Amino acid sequence: MGRQYPLTCDNNSLAGAVSQRACVYSGARVVLNPVTDAVHLVHGPIGCAGYTWDIRGAKSSGVETNRSSFSTDMKEIDVIFGGEKKLSNAIDELVGLYHPPVIFVYSTCIVGIIGDDLEAICKTASQNHNIPILPVKSEGFKGNKSDGYKAACDALKKLIKRPQKEVAGEKKPEVSPEVRNPKINILGDFNVAGDVWLIKPLFEQMGIEVIVSMTGDSTAKSISRAAEADLNLVQCSGSMTYLAKWMQKEYEIPYMSASFFGIEDISIALRKTAEYFGSKEMKKKVEEILETETNRIMPEISRVRERVKGKRAAIYMGGPAKALTLIKGFAELCMEVVIIGTQTGQKEDYEQISYSVRNGTVIVDDANPLELAELLVKQEADLMVAGVKERFIAYKLGIAFCDFNHDRVVEFEGFDGFVNFAREVDASINSPVWKTVRQRTLKPETMKPERATIKERISGEPREPEFLHRKLDKVTENQAFGEASR
Amino acid sequence: MTKRSYATVNPCIMCQPMGSALAFKGIENTMVLYHGSQGCSTYMRLQLAHHFREPVDIASSSLSEKGAVYGGRENLKKGLRNVINRYNPKVIGVATTCLAETIGDDVPAIIREFKEEEGIGNDPEKDIIIIPVSTPSYGESHVSGYIKALEAVVRRFAESHGEERAVKNPNGKLNLIPVESLSPPDVRELKEILEATAGNYIFLPDISETFDAPLSDNLPKIAQGGTPLSEIADMPNSRASFGLGIVSKNLALEYLKESYGMPGYSVPIPIGLSKTDTFFMELVNILGCPIPEKYQKERGRLLDAMVDVHKYLYGVKAAVYGDPDMVFSLTTFMLELGMDPVLVATGSKSRDFGMMIGQIFGEIRPELAPVVLDGIDFDSLNDAVSNCSPEILIGNSNGRYIAKARGIPLVRVGLPIHDRVGAQRILTVGYRGALELLDRITNTILEATDTFTAPVQAEPAAYDGLRFERNV
Repeated sequence: MGRQYPLTCDNNSLAGAVSQRACVYSGARVVLNPVTDAVHLVHGPIGCAGYTWDIRGAKSSGVETNRSSFSTDMKEIDVIFGGEKKLSNAIDELVGLYHPPVIFVYSTCIVGIIGDDLEAICKTASQNHNIPILPVKSEGFKGNKSDGYKAACDALKKLIKRPQKEVAGEKKPEVSPEVRNPKINILGDFNVAGDVWLIKPLFEQMGIEVIVSMTGDSTAKSISRAAEADLNLVQCSGSMTYLAKWMQKEYEIPYMSASFFGIEDISIALRKTAEYFGSKEMKKKVEEILETETNRIMPEISRVRERVKGKRAAIYMGGPAKALTLIKGFAELCMEVVIIGTQTGQKEDYEQISYSVRNGTVIVDDANPLELAELLVKQEADLMVAGVKERFIAYKLGIAFCDFNHDRVVEFEGFDGFVNFAREVDASINSPVWKTVRQRTLKPETMKPERATIKERISGEPREPEFLHRKLDKVTENQAFGEASR
Repeated sequence: MTKRSYATVNPCIMCQPMGSALAFKGIENTMVLYHGSQGCSTYMRLQLAHHFREPVDIASSSLSEKGAVYGGRENLKKGLRNVINRYNPKVIGVATTCLAETIGDDVPAIIREFKEEEGIGNDPEKDIIIIPVSTPSYGESHVSGYIKALEAVVRRFAESHGEERAVKNPNGKLNLIPVESLSPPDVRELKEILEATAGNYIFLPDISETFDAPLSDNLPKIAQGGTPLSEIADMPNSRASFGLGIVSKNLALEYLKESYGMPGYSVPIPIGLSKTDTFFMELVNILGCPIPEKYQKERGRLLDAMVDVHKYLYGVKAAVYGDPDMVFSLTTFMLELGMDPVLVATGSKSRDFGMMIGQIFGEIRPELAPVVLDGIDFDSLNDAVSNCSPEILIGNSNGRYIAKARGIPLVRVGLPIHDRVGAQRILTVGYRGALELLDRITNTILEATDTFTAPVQAEPAAYDGLRFERNV
């Protein structure tokens, strides 16, 4: 091994690069959009709202206000004279029409330039309508996606209410939490394809109430109760650690990182939670759950494992948490990870990643499509896990693809989710289409003569010609083929 | 919901830079760079990748806070340099976003400076061509972005001939310039028609390969295909320009008309029988050639099919929405088929749209009274749909919420179509396109009304007694 160069990350993308990253607004929108009963009002020109209209598969068990796209559709005249009036009128209008319990007002690039006072407008509107109307400071150019996460968390902070008893001056009891009904929040799970609905029951079986999952399938009401929790489990660390730290400081709620993807990580998450609450009964229950569930899905996992083991996976995700947990997931399927990269990883994340992969794995930050394509070929990947934009690069190269992003339509979390994941990996890697696309131009001279094909058909499995020669003497062979071709 | 005046709910348009990419991507060896923040390029790439199912590379000047305060000059230059180094394009289309426009960057001046610094000359043969186009998101829509980008391209190449505006080497060709993005097979179909009639033609922009690339042995950095640069440069020498689309103004065609005195004819996008007829008639008039036998036969097959399905389609109430010119031609076709387009809408703001749609109704079915709307969002379309109660929706994927809520089918045409496969293969133009569309509309209606596939077939109660008797 030659000299080691530290990987640089958390920089802004290079100008002119075709980065897979997005902007501050996109970070904020991704995090907040799953709040189901909120009106998500984008203050800016039409594009920002249009391109984010219902593009994420976060499911709701109730209302679906979040699936509509609201915008002030700023025009040139608003840019010149300011968009404040239009914004406050739009808020009034939407409150009258939709009666939402909360409105998130996102600022976009030009709002940051022309200087509309979002805070003042939101404050006045909040007072007028008596609902929280929260500014989300997400001017696209003011940082990167991670800054958007932070802006989203800042808005969520304002929704979380101080629990009643504390207001009354009662300090939280210092006793171990096992005496009461334990309550948790899951931070950084967006209920894509219904993920949360496979996780919540596990905790409920353990006797734990999940107050809210932020922000998957959450509502203004459930978020407001978040401070009643005894513990926060943080899944998407990139977006939610900030909020968890704040809740720890503000409400003395500790947090632990957790992942609900893959048998190993789910087991760790449940055991750690039980360990935290310290109840023997709960620990016993966890072992029961793990045993039953693992036994239930293991036959299917083993079946898939046989079909995919040794295959080489490339991971390119938005955040580092998903990347890390995927490494373990692939290990459970006996697959190798040959490329791993993220859009927004920090230095510590990459260090952690480097411990969890073997030598020879390429680690990248903020890769562009050309780099990704080169790496996929060089590392001989069989499968890529990423988002939609990368999908077609993989396809063009003849490499299988699995969408682990917010666009997917099947759950990947929890036990059944892992089965779904394994099946999807199997379906994509083992599709005969990859063999077919290896030959991209029809070259008559390289085609096997029709006879050879028939030969294979007769002997069942395709076999080496030598093998056939040993079994059949030349005459019978020819006769056999003569028969078949007639 | 009810009438709104300030908030837009579920937009029916995309922004201008998106349209510019649709135009630039139809030019040989061209990269697109958005001068603005990172998100614009990511979002629009996502949108286009969803629709065409192809890798879509669009670079960004990645304007940061510093750039926004002090101007984006350095970012843009750095961006151009990087794009040239990595992609080695012949042309770079630089589209501005709302951020770049609002901070007031003088993009053409920055590009001039950049070219001087890098020693890039004006020789179209060997020098890289950088084409700026002003496309802030707060102006109009993706349709205008498309039209503006095409004009910028034609103008830039024409100007490389020098200052004097005169036709130098008449090439006898016909320019074909649409005002709205057509699908790859649409472009292929039109090129085939031109091949069979004009022979010599220039089609701008040609996305037939770039957005519908075959799997080939290598993955080129820039998708192959597109209108060759030599042809774009040759456009001022053509005998005439043919514009597709009459609702929106065809700026590239107007430019050639004004600057070169080139005859320009605009016809509706050839969707449906009469609009394809118009297209052929104009073509024949300009060229003085006969209509090839092949298309007479295709036309005959379309007529045959129209007769076959006329009973299924007569009086079927439909709502159609999308880009103005496409909607205009689609509406005409539906009227020809005997359908009743009760609701005709476009997301673009257009003064002429309502008037033109009204005219078409007057010509074909004056007794019908449609609701015609422009500048709509999908929420107001939803209101209109609930008033007009159409039995079928025709438009892009974003109407699926309305279709689902009302329990009526949606025939997908236009852009974006991201919830079904094959968006990049939908043919609507020409007689063949009309046939395919007709089949899809009819079959959708048949599927929705087919009682044979209903889950339970109940026998009328009156027969119950008889059966009882027989069993005994």
